[in-house]
Amino acid sequence: MVGKKYFKNFFELSLSLAKAEFKLRNEGSYLGIFWYLLNPLLVFGLLLLVFSDRLGNDISQYPLYLLLGVVMFNFFQSSTVESVTSVLKENRWLIKSINFPRESLVASIVLKNLFSHFFEIIFFMIFIVFFKASIIGILYYLPILIFFCSFVFGVSLFLASLTAYFVDLENIWSFAVRLLWLGTPIFYAIDGQTKLYYVNLFNPLYYFITVARDLIVYAKMPDVSIIFGMIFYTLLSFFAGVLVFNTLKIKFAEKI
Amino acid sequence: MEKIKRIVIDNISKKFMIGYSNNMGALARFVSLFSGKEPKRLIHALENLSFDVSSGEIVGIIGNNGSGKSTLVRIIAGIYYPDGGRVITKGKIISLINLIVGLKERLTMKENIFLVGSLFGMSQEEIKKEFNNIVEFSELKEFVNTKIYQFSAGMMQRLAFSIAVSAKPDILLLDEVFEVGDEDFKKKSVDKIRKIVEDGACVVLVSHDLPLVEKYCDRVIWIKEDKSLIKGEPNKVVSQYKED
Repeated sequence: MVGKKYFKNFFELSLSLAKAEFKLRNEGSYLGIFWYLLNPLLVFGLLLLVFSDRLGNDISQYPLYLLLGVVMFNFFQSSTVESVTSVLKENRWLIKSINFPRESLVASIVLKNLFSHFFEIIFFMIFIVFFKASIIGILYYLPILIFFCSFVFGVSLFLASLTAYFVDLENIWSFAVRLLWLGTPIFYAIDGQTKLYYVNLFNPLYYFITVARDLIVYAKMPDVSIIFGMIFYTLLSFFAGVLVFNTLKIKFAEKI
Repeated sequence: MEKIKRIVIDNISKKFMIGYSNNMGALARFVSLFSGKEPKRLIHALENLSFDVSSGEIVGIIGNNGSGKSTLVRIIAGIYYPDGGRVITKGKIISLINLIVGLKERLTMKENIFLVGSLFGMSQEEIKKEFNNIVEFSELKEFVNTKIYQFSAGMMQRLAFSIAVSAKPDILLLDEVFEVGDEDFKKKSVDKIRKIVEDGACVVLVSHDLPLVEKYCDRVIWIKEDKSLIKGEPNKVVSQYKED
């Protein structure tokens, strides 16, 4: 089984890279993992303070609605932004010296962010208990996360491979992420706003966040079309990402 | 042991475009699509090169700076793709091209062994199994838990080389590896190389250390400025190179 051994080694390499990256980031830091939590939690706290009375008033379980949206978006944002800024730039000499599977550099970033996402989800679970919602729903998050990770991995591969060709992708992407943050119903709800609804049909994050909220916060089955949308964007992103990365990676060592 | 051809280089060429294009932003690239003007310069790093390396051989590659030695090694390693010709390799390739590479300064030696080991394609079990050998060979036992930014260049070289040979290469590519180490370790490394070569591997050694090349290589290839090759007995090629 050549394939199995390859994937095992690939996974181990990605994990090693993620661990190393994690240790380097937290070197000499007393807060460690809490630094990662701090950003989404402060954003959450601030938004809750600002919006809970007005915008969030007609959204039931607004704190949970908001927090789940914030942490899911944060996972997407930190993985993709790091892929754009660091994969090829910080590892250029490594890429020029050893012929290892390049995808593992992207996988390591997703794994590292998955690790801190895990803590955010634990925090979210504490909130579920606090607001007396059903804790069972969180079990649905595992399958959702498998789709979401594949989606994020695909987007990250796509972006990372393009950075070899476009140096200012970093700026473009940080702008795009800000637009996505405002365009995705994270701190507001989309209900009844037709224009916004149609725009969001093209926004993959809308599907993932909606499925997660329906199942976990509201304990109801999401619309079939939303589930299909989630699966569609996962497959699209994963395969397009792998394909583009694979096509472009043979030139990485020369381009960077 | 029966000899197999581990590396076959068949008429390869490699060109590089040197220009501004590498650092262009999306907008500039878009504009240049229409203007069609892009300042570029073509550099032929390698032209129509052919040779092969069999198991049991140590082949030295010499040449001036910029003659394409590192490009050649990267092509053998599969890091660069040739523009023309073919490269066929048999077996596991380990390349030590830039020593500091892969090693993370702010991690300990132990953590680095695990990281670089997996970059060389070793599984976690293999690294665990080889760990003591690596530490012993590098003679850096008392520094296992030291962060390696405190290491000297020679110590890093010891570490990188020790990990590379423990990864059980069939093809070992060494690009200016022995330029920083001390004589004792050089001697020990060469003995180790001899041993893995006797077990059926092959080694390509790029070096400016002419006495080393002359003494230990079975064959030497000199890449000249005009991209032609002089191949042959180490002492002959090296003396020709010195005269040039």
